[in-house]
Amino acid sequence: MLAAGCGGGQELTLAVAVLPSELPVYRAAVADFERASGRHVVVVPQQYADIRRALAAERAARRGTLDLVELDVYSLAAAARDVAVLSRADVADLLDELDPAAVRAGTVDGLRFLPHRVSWQALIYDHAVLGNPPATWDELLAVARSHPGKIGFKGARYEGLTCDVLPFVWAAGGRGDVLDDAGAIAAFRLFAALAPYLHPESATMKEPAIAEAMARGELVLHLNWPFVMSLYASQGLSPDPIRSAPLPRGPAGRATVLGGGYLALPANAPHREEALALARHLLGRDAQERFARELGWFSARRDVAVEAGGAALGGFAAMRDVVRPRPERADYPLISRQWQEAFRAVAFSRTDPEAALRAAAARLASERH
Amino acid sequence: MRRDSLLALPLVGYLALFLVYPTLYAVKLAFTDTIAGSFPSLQNFRTLAGDALFWAAVGGNLVLPVLTVGLELASGLALALLLAARLPGRRLLRAAIVVPFALPEIVFLTIMRHILAPRGYANGALAAAGFEPVGWLLPGRWTTYLTVVVVDAWHTTPVVFLMLLAALSALPEEVGEAARVDGARGVRRFIHITLPLLAPAILAALMLRGLDALRVFATPLVLTGVEGVPVVSTYAYHQWSDYGNDGAAAAAASVLALLSVVLAVPLLRRRRAA
Repeated sequence: MLAAGCGGGQELTLAVAVLPSELPVYRAAVADFERASGRHVVVVPQQYADIRRALAAERAARRGTLDLVELDVYSLAAAARDVAVLSRADVADLLDELDPAAVRAGTVDGLRFLPHRVSWQALIYDHAVLGNPPATWDELLAVARSHPGKIGFKGARYEGLTCDVLPFVWAAGGRGDVLDDAGAIAAFRLFAALAPYLHPESATMKEPAIAEAMARGELVLHLNWPFVMSLYASQGLSPDPIRSAPLPRGPAGRATVLGGGYLALPANAPHREEALALARHLLGRDAQERFARELGWFSARRDVAVEAGGAALGGFAAMRDVVRPRPERADYPLISRQWQEAFRAVAFSRTDPEAALRAAAARLASERH
Repeated sequence: MRRDSLLALPLVGYLALFLVYPTLYAVKLAFTDTIAGSFPSLQNFRTLAGDALFWAAVGGNLVLPVLTVGLELASGLALALLLAARLPGRRLLRAAIVVPFALPEIVFLTIMRHILAPRGYANGALAAAGFEPVGWLLPGRWTTYLTVVVVDAWHTTPVVFLMLLAALSALPEEVGEAARVDGARGVRRFIHITLPLLAPAILAALMLRGLDALRVFATPLVLTGVEGVPVVSTYAYHQWSDYGNDGAAAAAASVLALLSVVLAVPLLRRRRAA
């Protein structure tokens, strides 16, 4: 149990998934709120999974110590019953400033989650080797053919793989929640064409492993989140040779998956009004600009620009207008797993794309029943 | 109640709180359908049974410990025999052998991962010598299983080595002398004199490492991820961390616990007989 509790009146407890290196900056932003409100805030840095479990435990216990929590966008639907519904009237001014797509992702049977920071994937590429990154699917295939074994996908069975798959499905006009529509089939035909040229460890790769492989020069391109650029910068690998670029354009354009952290008030938050005031402070322009400037976070506020990271973050900035939330459905985790299984069948077992997608759709139908 | 029984109460309380309660809770979780909220339910075990990765993990959990412990016993015994003799620099050699075990596991494995990566130091050395690179850690290949076995054995052989070295040092010298007088030398002396005298220590090492090897986790996970060389513990971790499926993770952990008990019983019986 992570709670550093505060039954008394003066302390608020905030559980957020910040890294130890990010904590001083985050704490400084919270200190502004403390000065203005006279409230002390206990910031508990935790992983998203631990926050989610603490939240569920507090709901089961019907009493709580957490006033405000940050949750991963992927887990919002699952955590919806553990948090309070927010009154739109209470945050109307805030909603006017936030990206509607990001707000929509936080609406699960009512507005429950507010976007604390948003994130999305871009193409990470080796500028020294490729020069210009591939801008279309045909160019991507051409790069793969000329650099066999050096194209990376996060191919392990986990949500990160779905985040690699969905942008291609959307870019081909697919819905994202239908496994065998025309867009999905077109995207999986591309995956089948890329399969022979994938890095041989793709089947087990997650974010850290694929980022390491790129740093060792084993990859010329892969998809990843903005945090890798600061990692490469700290290793002297960015902005040269490693840079970011927009994802290659498909038959229906470009798209990328929305990620990030959302703030919510636990169902049993002991100081709801004060917690909402803290949330408003953290989502305010000053705090969000500080996070963007000093931590490199992307804000869902439309009046806070993606921090101009030059060549390093340029690809991410260029993708901002095509960020899409994952399908907003209660059975999304089941769909996500089938995207993963279908990709692995096509990429690593060389199954025919249409057959793999049909099989995935059949499994999904069976699981739903 | 006797006074000495009362003294055991804090320990009993500790074990009840931190061992018995979590174990019972995990078993309850394993038999709970976390979506429907119903108990008892076999849903989590059905999930496991329908997942090919789980069966690959069970297979890995049977093969990996056998190979790893076998290699550890062979190399630990060989090193103990070598360094029990009065070799020059043997203290330095003993220290060098223990180094992998002295390193924090995650540090040791991260170093190994960098050495064995496709463009790592091992393949760099092979390339410099004019050889083709080797796919040490490619998922699903027998070479990858072998790599995990060797790395895990390298890390934990010092345990076996130290146990057997201590046992060798404690062997009565007069038995060796008598064998030498009777003309038993070399391999015959090893097989008929040294090995039987070392049998209790070997069995103890086999039990200690055998049970520990069933819980193998960090080596396959750090080197190859969940799918590269799956075992039940990494599968449970995968269900918990990647899918947030606590029930299936608890079910897999229960299977692993059952597997450990089933395999431990013959070893314990053998130990008691010895």
